[in-house]
Amino acid sequence: MWLKKWSFLGIFLVCGAVVMTATHSWADAARPAREAGEWLARVVSGESGGPRDEEDLLAEKGENPGEVPSGNGEGDAPGGSDLTDESSGESNLSDGPSGEEDDSGEQSEEVDFQGPEQEGDSQESEAPPEVTYRNPEDVVYATVEDDYFSDAVFIGDSRTVGLYEYGGLLDVATFYASKGLTIFNLLTAEIVETGDERGKITVEEALSERQFAKIYLMVGINEMGTGDLERFLTKYQEVVTRLQELQPDAILYLQAIIKVTTDRSNKGDYINNEGIVARNEGIANMADNVKSYYLDVNPLICDEDGGMIKDYTSDGVHLKAKYIPIWKDFLKEHAVVLDE
Amino acid sequence: MVFSSIKFLLYFLPIFLVLYGITPKSCRNLTLLIGSIIFYTLGDPHSLLLLLLSMGVNYFIGLYLVGRREGHRKVRKKRKALLTAAIIGNVGMLALFKFAPGGLELPLGISFYTFQVLSYLLDVYRGEIRREMSFLKFAVYISMFPQLISGPIVYYSEVSAQLESREFTAEGIQEGLKVFIMGLVSKVLLADRVGILWTQVQTTGFESISTPLAWLAAVAYSLKLYFDFYGYSLMGIGLGRMLGFELPENFKEPYMALGVRDFYRRWHMTLGRWFRKYVYIPLGGNRGTEGRTILNLLVVWVLTSLWHGKTLNFLVWGLGLWLLIVFERQLGRLKWMPKLRVLPRLYLWAVIPVTWMCFEITDLSQLEVYLGRMFGFVQGINVYARDWYSVLSDYGGLLLICFVACTPLVRKLYGILKDRLIGMVALGTLFWVCVWRIIVEGENIFTYFHF
Repeated sequence: MWLKKWSFLGIFLVCGAVVMTATHSWADAARPAREAGEWLARVVSGESGGPRDEEDLLAEKGENPGEVPSGNGEGDAPGGSDLTDESSGESNLSDGPSGEEDDSGEQSEEVDFQGPEQEGDSQESEAPPEVTYRNPEDVVYATVEDDYFSDAVFIGDSRTVGLYEYGGLLDVATFYASKGLTIFNLLTAEIVETGDERGKITVEEALSERQFAKIYLMVGINEMGTGDLERFLTKYQEVVTRLQELQPDAILYLQAIIKVTTDRSNKGDYINNEGIVARNEGIANMADNVKSYYLDVNPLICDEDGGMIKDYTSDGVHLKAKYIPIWKDFLKEHAVVLDE
Repeated sequence: MVFSSIKFLLYFLPIFLVLYGITPKSCRNLTLLIGSIIFYTLGDPHSLLLLLLSMGVNYFIGLYLVGRREGHRKVRKKRKALLTAAIIGNVGMLALFKFAPGGLELPLGISFYTFQVLSYLLDVYRGEIRREMSFLKFAVYISMFPQLISGPIVYYSEVSAQLESREFTAEGIQEGLKVFIMGLVSKVLLADRVGILWTQVQTTGFESISTPLAWLAAVAYSLKLYFDFYGYSLMGIGLGRMLGFELPENFKEPYMALGVRDFYRRWHMTLGRWFRKYVYIPLGGNRGTEGRTILNLLVVWVLTSLWHGKTLNFLVWGLGLWLLIVFERQLGRLKWMPKLRVLPRLYLWAVIPVTWMCFEITDLSQLEVYLGRMFGFVQGINVYARDWYSVLSDYGGLLLICFVACTPLVRKLYGILKDRLIGMVALGTLFWVCVWRIIVEGENIFTYFHF
């Protein structure tokens, strides 16, 4: 009788257990409880402010990562990891604040790290790469026509999708782009249409089947939710290496992550320009300027404050269709033409 | 706090229901009031004082506003003056926040609870209801969380009996939960998803969309707004039912309407009836000449526009609707008009999305661009001519589901299946699927949250 009276509630709860388990959502569902517990603990112990601030860690550029909060699962030794240059000094932004919502309000303020706002330095990389064949200043870019891209592939996230739709290169170049693409799933996500019975294949598979002369890469905004700069850059380098293995003759263009508007950056969630700049610096270091190059379109689309020009966007993150040609023209003016 | 959030669904609501359940029946109003205040504070702590002030002041005014026919002239004059002052005070406060030049942030729910308070005062003055002597019950009436933030706008008479005494039963809880789930699904699985189409078009920039896409996106927005608001209203009704209240419906399949007049008798019904009862009919309604009726309609629509916002686009929206309604009235007066079924619906679907664009796009120059792209009088910039192909393939299925959900079919199916095992499993599963989607996609603010 009691069971019959509450039959719907019973079914409801059983469905809950099934769906939550199947979608691995228990941890996320418990987050408010965890946060409430943490908040309570802080209140009780009399601390103020948010938990580990990302900007402190960013500010510690090049310094002893002993500042790094302990207990992070990434296990990067101080100064260790493959990136032997400055970017590793950016310390370990582990699963801490940046990924979660509330406390990241602290993130974007008081950032006193010296990363140059890239305007003046423009397209060439800000930090000289440690391992180089050529200095970026020695690179001579040519201006080309649209047909330069006929043997090029553009790989990226929703920004690249925008370039696909509105860059006027639809029928010329190849695009392996998808909203939500990250460096972590770039090679393994099935986003490439084959047009045959296989349906969609992964970028890695596609690049094994077809050789391109140029590869344009832009990812990095979607991963910011995890907040871990070190992990991002490590994976990025892995992907770069893999791309060069798959396409040994291709010129690899590593594109700086396009910044967001200052307003969007200040919103207090994981998307902010300081983090983007930090990632771009790391990416720039990976270009050897012989087979791989670093291109940064940001100076052409950002204002004096270092954020994307407000009029150029509606959501603060994506360029309006009207302004995408600026990006395409920039790429056309920064082409590397190999002498035969 | 938004209904469609993890904090509400998995924390506030279950905890509240448990506490409400263990409270003895005589104290449940107090529990509900405290819970509602906590709910409000978690959403907009800065405006709590204003809400409490409004409840306190209006409660006292209500005590003195009793029956205009009672007492001799002087007393009646005093009561009338008090009513006038109360109306000016409440409307003035609402207007202050809505139209302040600096652009003050609107206190949460103010447009809704102000209108609800006004309905109470006017009904007491008219002698339609007895003044509520208990501050607790009055406060619960105004602030109870199922309807505090975004309506429905409840008449006091609709809940007075339940304020006095209501049941908290297994059946009520479960039936209310079922309705709540329907609302949650409407918001999370329909509105939020079809809304992405609209967001996409904003991201691209209105000047760069093709005409077919402009229309497609306008239709998508029309659906998003409906399922958003309808979903939220259903959630409110469901919550009310769980607690033993029968809250009024806000929507009656508006997209099945046979014209704009019919549409607005089915859309946001509690707002429409408020204006009809307290503005249109006192002005004379349609009992005078046609000219007078048209004027009365104009007043109602101007006020409706203002209720929604201070930017000019709302006036364009309201006046546009007024013109269409006047036009339909004239058609209706023609004796030889046949009773059509299909043409009026096509007309509706052509016209309503256009009006929703006026409603949604607050920047008039952007609105001009959008309408220009719809009707071809604005040149596109860098338009990708086949943009609507991929949109149609991405959203076609969802749009179809939305169209079906606009019909009475879903309601009928719900009625048939909700007590059967299959219906209950479906509802239970859908709830948790929504929870999962909320976790994955983040929590989308409901459109009418900012009114």
